[in-house]
Amino acid sequence: MFKNLFNNLFNKAIYTGLLTITLLASPQLSARGVYQSGPDFIAEVFTPQQPEAGVLWFNDNIREQAEKILGHRVLGLRVRYHHSAGKSAWILNEIGKEMPITIGVVIDQGKISSVKILAYRESRGGEVRYPAYMAQYQGATLTDSYKLDKSIDGITGATLSVWAVNKVAALALYYHSQVASQPQ
Amino acid sequence: MKSSNSVKRNIIWHRRLGLSIFLLLIFLAISGFALNHSPALKLNKISLSNSWLLSWYGLEKPLIKGFKLDDKWLYENGNNLLYVDRQAVAPCSPPLLSVAKSTNILYALCADSLHLLTDNGQLLESFSQLDELPVNARAISAADNSLYLITDSAVLEFDPDSLALQPAEIDSASLNALTASLPVPEFLMQQLEENTGPSISLETVILDLHSGRFFGQFGVLIMDIVGLLICILSITGLFAWINRLRQIKQ
Repeated sequence: MFKNLFNNLFNKAIYTGLLTITLLASPQLSARGVYQSGPDFIAEVFTPQQPEAGVLWFNDNIREQAEKILGHRVLGLRVRYHHSAGKSAWILNEIGKEMPITIGVVIDQGKISSVKILAYRESRGGEVRYPAYMAQYQGATLTDSYKLDKSIDGITGATLSVWAVNKVAALALYYHSQVASQPQ
Repeated sequence: MKSSNSVKRNIIWHRRLGLSIFLLLIFLAISGFALNHSPALKLNKISLSNSWLLSWYGLEKPLIKGFKLDDKWLYENGNNLLYVDRQAVAPCSPPLLSVAKSTNILYALCADSLHLLTDNGQLLESFSQLDELPVNARAISAADNSLYLITDSAVLEFDPDSLALQPAEIDSASLNALTASLPVPEFLMQQLEENTGPSISLETVILDLHSGRFFGQFGVLIMDIVGLLICILSITGLFAWINRLRQIKQ
């Protein structure tokens, strides 16, 4: 009898332990990862069209404004994008808490048409990649103060990632406006 | 007569003890004062990175290796940043595998990305595994105004304008890739150490000197003896004072 009781308790302890480990590990397992490569994202955005590749070189004004939007130094002298018929796609990196998040932003006729997390490297806060959250950016434009004209609901525990996506979305809109204003 | 001798002996020993530990006493008083006011004096904010001190504490200075290209040093700083001489230019997962120069562009291949830099060391842009840089890329080499990426199984030609990779019909053995890194010179290491290298706070050093731990178990024992001597010194001092009072009364 005692043997059965002991076995039952032992089994329960093992199941509870495994369940706890799974629950504790699951947010971390689900948060980190590369979800889509850059070329795959571009292909998905423009299919069936064949987009043109473009390069936006930073002049002093662009750099200054980009740094104001991001709130820190912008690395690089140029940024690459793809475009077709008034639509442009940008793949930009921004640090959430400690690691860069790779974010793809598609702008169509001056408005955000989609935002997607391509790679997330932080251990927490990966909820920003959920479609329900990303859908909030659809239709957003840039205000005169270079901020998004829509208010984006935050996510508890992912505040820094949300800020990073907000900044990148605004930056992509700004870059798009610069490309649109440049003579082709 | 007997008591006068013992009084004399007491005073002699009091003097001897006082003289033998007076320097240590002054040090203990000053270091104790400094430790008591450590936050106000910001002793914990003062970092010491003297190589003798670090080796005394058993801290190893990291050996940073890099590549010299023309007159510039390119290296990963041990903290996931690519440096060109004294300037951090891009994130770089270690190791920095290889560097090359072709048509006024410097290339630096880190474990997960290829960085394109101007010839004065400014970052142009980065090409990462997310942009389909092969995971097994191990070296880069410039030849005939082209840049070749050498992987474990193939050689690819890299176009810096379109960031496209094309298979190249060239044997990797015929390419001269710079892959053997060298220790970064001392003047660059010094600057790195000031910014990111290991260091010990002045507060820790003073605390360890105050307790004697700085010199290991031997130092602690010495400080214990000094503590004991301070007690004896106070007792002999007290006796000397009492005897003095007696003499005055008599």
